[in-house]
Amino acid sequence: MIPLRLDELIQGIIKGDRRSVSRAISIVENEQVSFNAKKIVKEIYQYTGRAHIVGITGPPGIGKSTMIGNLSAMLSDIGRKVSVVAIDASSPFTGGSLLGNRIRMQESLTRHGIFMRSLANRGLKGGLSRSIWDTVKILDASGSDIIIVETVGAGQADLDVVNLAETVLMVLGPGLGDEIQAIKAGIMEIGSLFVINKMDLPGAFIAQKDIEETLAMSPRGEWKPPVVGVNSLTREGYEDLIKEIDRHGKFVKKSSDLSFRKFRTELEITIDEELRSRFHQEIMGFLTDSEKIRSLMEKRTDPYSAAESLINSIA
Amino acid sequence: MEAGKNQSLFKGKPIKILLAKPGIDGHDRGILVLAKAFRDAGMEVIYVGLLPTPEEVVDTAVNEDVDAIALSLLNGAHMTVFKKVADLMKSRGVNDIAVIGGGTIPEADKPKLEKMGISGNYGPGTPISTIIEHITSRAAEMRKLKAMEE
Ligand code: B12
Ligand SMILES: Nc1nc2c(ncn2[C@@H]2O[C@H](COP(=O)(O)OP(=O)(O)OP(=O)(O)O)[C@@H](O)[C@H]2O)c(=O)[nH]1
Ligand SMILES: [Mg+2]
Repeated sequence: MIPLRLDELIQGIIKGDRRSVSRAISIVENEQVSFNAKKIVKEIYQYTGRAHIVGITGPPGIGKSTMIGNLSAMLSDIGRKVSVVAIDASSPFTGGSLLGNRIRMQESLTRHGIFMRSLANRGLKGGLSRSIWDTVKILDASGSDIIIVETVGAGQADLDVVNLAETVLMVLGPGLGDEIQAIKAGIMEIGSLFVINKMDLPGAFIAQKDIEETLAMSPRGEWKPPVVGVNSLTREGYEDLIKEIDRHGKFVKKSSDLSFRKFRTELEITIDEELRSRFHQEIMGFLTDSEKIRSLMEKRTDPYSAAESLINSIA
Repeated sequence: MEAGKNQSLFKGKPIKILLAKPGIDGHDRGILVLAKAFRDAGMEVIYVGLLPTPEEVVDTAVNEDVDAIALSLLNGAHMTVFKKVADLMKSRGVNDIAVIGGGTIPEADKPKLEKMGISGNYGPGTPISTIIEHITSRAAEMRKLKAMEE
């Protein structure tokens, strides 16, 4: 049975009980910044920080989900407890979503009994969903060794994963055309590792060389992002990939600069959200006051003065 | 989304639903039609593909914490396969996920399925709006059961 009391649910998470984990994720997803959602995170926070959080990003259809299927199976085989979260876009018109990532990894998930959760981004841009930070904490506290997160897959727009994951795999491949140029110009910085998938297809070696050259020309810090070629249909190259993921995991655990930035960003987002939710009623009241809108239309005030007077009246 | 507007997150709690065809049945047109219709009705939809086992269906439903499972069979095996899913749910104590059936289901089987806790059981020609209404009301029941005490 699923615990219906919050303290039991929290105990369940810490013990690694699936049903508790699963329900807790629904709570942080559906009742963001509610008393219950916050209470869960507050209580489990001290149990987090053990798992290695790996983000997988890259253009649509490049093979991210297939890769997660392979990685999670192989990591399970060597005794790691793997959890997976994959994010899909919600329709901006209806709010609905087809959560299609699972189908590509279902076989591995079943065979190895891996916990996997599909989330819709519910309007958040940047490749993640707002609840992903709390979701990852729940999975971390439940005893995962490694948590793999698949971003929406909007290519150049999936930047937020750097603020969530310790290790970011940027998956690229042959046949990307202009997209690869855009990625090279824009978001090379976010990859800790570059994976060239679909090495079985023509053009893959060229893509690999291309990325290697671009990386060689970019300024780099202490960590030099490796480029690993894989074939996800045969799992060729996966031993190397896992080796590099582990190597980077060890590297970040030592580097406090990276984590400092991550924690700071998370705090910033949380404050923003808390502020907004705390003053939600006042703001909505203000926005639905037609007299206020009319005074703007009739130029009796301007948007800045109106906003200032609202904030002054609250604070 | 309106351009220039601040990232406004959906405040709703969309219905989450798992679509599955457990059992050897290649008729997937209907379920694919439903998947798109449910998405367009604002639901979050997961389809696990052809031939998942009843165990896989229940595991997935629990891990994804869906509000409902939609089972579709056109091959006549619903009385055994749907029952397996319902039995597994019962034996695992999962009472807050609705099981809804559909496909080619003879009238005579419907009351028996209802008795197992499988509702709906809609066949060819059912208006999509009827199906969506049914799911919406079952999902609402389930959300009530899921409510947490503080
Ligand atoms: C198209 C079709 C096929 C196509 C399937 C293509 C595909 N990828 O889907 C092909 C040609 C491959 C095929 C093959 C076979 N078919 Co055929 N097929 C049909 C047919 C003509 C239409 C099915 C269809 O796609 N309808 C359109 C979709 C949109 O509607 P739907 O699936 O009914 O779904 C709607 C509702 O039923 C409901 N619904 C469905 N599922 C669910 C679930 C929930 C939860 C809810 C709420 C509602 C719901 O909502 C949907 C949308 O409105 C039916 C006859 C019929 N009129 O139903 C036979 C039929 C299903 N097939 C039949 C048979 C026997 C076969 C074969 C065994 C061989 C044969 N004799 O042709 C093979 C087996 C294939 C396999 N591997 O399983 C029989 C099944 C008999 C039975 N139940 O005992 C039927 C009923 C024909 C008949 N009268 O004999 N078939
Ligand atoms: N030839 C070849 N095909 C592959 C390889 N890896 C994945 N694919 C295929 O690429 C297609 C897309 O794979 P997915 O894993 O769904 O890709 P994705 O990046 O998760 O896609 P989205 O989530 O939709 O952005 C599928 O048809 C896979 O079978 C590979 O190494 N070689
Ligand atoms: Mg995917």
